[in-house]
Amino acid sequence: MTTAAIVAAGLTKRYGDTVAVDSLDLSIARGEFYGLLGPNGAGKTTAVHMLSTLIRPTSGEASIAGHSVLEAPVRVRGAVGVVFQEPALDMTLSAAENLRFAGLLNDMRAARIRTRTAQLLELFGLAEARDRRAGSLSGGMRRALDIARGLMHEPEVLFLDEPTIGLDVGNRRAIWRHLAALRAQMGITIVLTTHYLEEAESCDRVGFIDHGRLVREGIPARLVAEMGEYVVEIEASQPQLLAQALEARFGGVAIEGNLLTFRLDGDPSRAARLQSEFGAQVRALRWRRPNLNDVFLHVVRGEGVRGERASRNGARNVDEAHA
Amino acid sequence: MTWRPFHAVVEREMLKLARQRGRLVAQMIRPLIWLFVIGGGLGAVMSRQGMANYQAFLVPGVLGMTMLFGAMLGAFSTVYDKESGVMRLLVIAPVPHAWVVAAKIVSATALALVQGLMLLVVLAVLGYVDTHVSFALLAAGMLATSLACAATGMAVATFSGTLENYAVMMNVVIFPLFFISGALYPVEMLPQALAVAALANPLTYGVDIMKHAMLDGRAGTFAGAELGLWRDFAAVAFFTAVAAVIACVRFTRAAACEPLIHPQSRSRPRPA
Repeated sequence: MTTAAIVAAGLTKRYGDTVAVDSLDLSIARGEFYGLLGPNGAGKTTAVHMLSTLIRPTSGEASIAGHSVLEAPVRVRGAVGVVFQEPALDMTLSAAENLRFAGLLNDMRAARIRTRTAQLLELFGLAEARDRRAGSLSGGMRRALDIARGLMHEPEVLFLDEPTIGLDVGNRRAIWRHLAALRAQMGITIVLTTHYLEEAESCDRVGFIDHGRLVREGIPARLVAEMGEYVVEIEASQPQLLAQALEARFGGVAIEGNLLTFRLDGDPSRAARLQSEFGAQVRALRWRRPNLNDVFLHVVRGEGVRGERASRNGARNVDEAHA
Repeated sequence: MTWRPFHAVVEREMLKLARQRGRLVAQMIRPLIWLFVIGGGLGAVMSRQGMANYQAFLVPGVLGMTMLFGAMLGAFSTVYDKESGVMRLLVIAPVPHAWVVAAKIVSATALALVQGLMLLVVLAVLGYVDTHVSFALLAAGMLATSLACAATGMAVATFSGTLENYAVMMNVVIFPLFFISGALYPVEMLPQALAVAALANPLTYGVDIMKHAMLDGRAGTFAGAELGLWRDFAAVAFFTAVAAVIACVRFTRAAACEPLIHPQSRSRPRPA
């Protein structure tokens, strides 16, 4: 008996000539909180759909809680809860009716449905909204209800596909509070996909996926630590020129528009001195601790020719992190 | 395997029906308009030609019509489910996907039966249902009609990806099925081509069973049932089975399922 909740070996999905997921290998332990990270279109959603039996892999194999997605899809669907990017709710039914519908579909007894509904509505702050139509709930409440829906049948594994997409900051924080409470109370295995990288820092482990391939995997704090002590960002008037000058002294300098980024170990005041040294060329200068965005940029930039497209996606993530 | 997923789908359909009373009233008014306006008008013309009581002939036909519309609209709600996200809920349920098809057919059948029974009550109050009627056979005929229409509707629904096709289907599927059946006129009076088409229409057989139940042994009606009862039931069973298999095959084929769960193939813009 294995302790792994999710095992995937060579999981691949092709659509014609495009490879959405390219021989993905995963091993996720019971109770682990795993983040699958990457830009839009990287293959995260396709991977989740294959793991939850909604898409048949072109090749490769995966099992959830010991059940093969190819040979026992119905067992797998009983063991997983899936929260899709778009809500799986009937907007004309009330919050409680939606949960009852999901419970019956999962073959739960009426009494169990009642206690579970009360428990989940409480956990997700929806107790007051129990009899309101799902269509009349705010975006954040609707997402919370959708997650509660995915948890009705007490799945061993919960897949959350971009659970905070399209939500404002307040609602995003609320969803994270709910998920933290959920993990504390139920000790469930969670697989999260997101492109808001700062949200993944509370994961036990993260995997970076780009062009369908798992390019890096590890514990967030350790991945971040590998990035060095500081990241320096300089807004330059002539970025190419300044980058050349800095490259010799600090190693790899990344350019995104006017913004130069490089790693720095040791005394950060070495960075401060650049302001006086380069004068007007440096419009703004700051240094900070590295984060998962830097890991992401580093990882996808290491992919050579693909770097350009990936860095554009990365740049947006940086913007969002600062917003 | 268990009945609870069926319970879930049927219960949801009934809840929605109870909340959309307007839809229910509309479904009751349509057959009554046919019965009183078409039935009354044509009946008056025909009685001048010496043909008696066209309205009584039309009663099983409008019952069939109500169940045709109820079952088809119930089955086509699958298309709406795809757009609204309910389909995501159904495909992730731990039952084989063929069961989702079966559950939708059962719920569309139930929907049609409820509407058929309501119309029957209205017709009884108006005096169109008398003691000559064989109620057991009528119940069997209503069930057979609902089931055949629900399965046919479900098979059609699996070929439609979007709601735009919904209105099209209304016109190219439901109305022809109604007009080219024995509901409005006896099949034997139809021109050859139309008669052949009518015999390929499950509604013809369902309505014929109800004609047996309501018109057999009754004097003074314009026309009665035309086909043998066993032939009617066998035809209904055949059409239901074929349509259900087509629906299951279409639905469980990965290619038919993927567009609705795979967001990358959806054209709707998503927030970044």
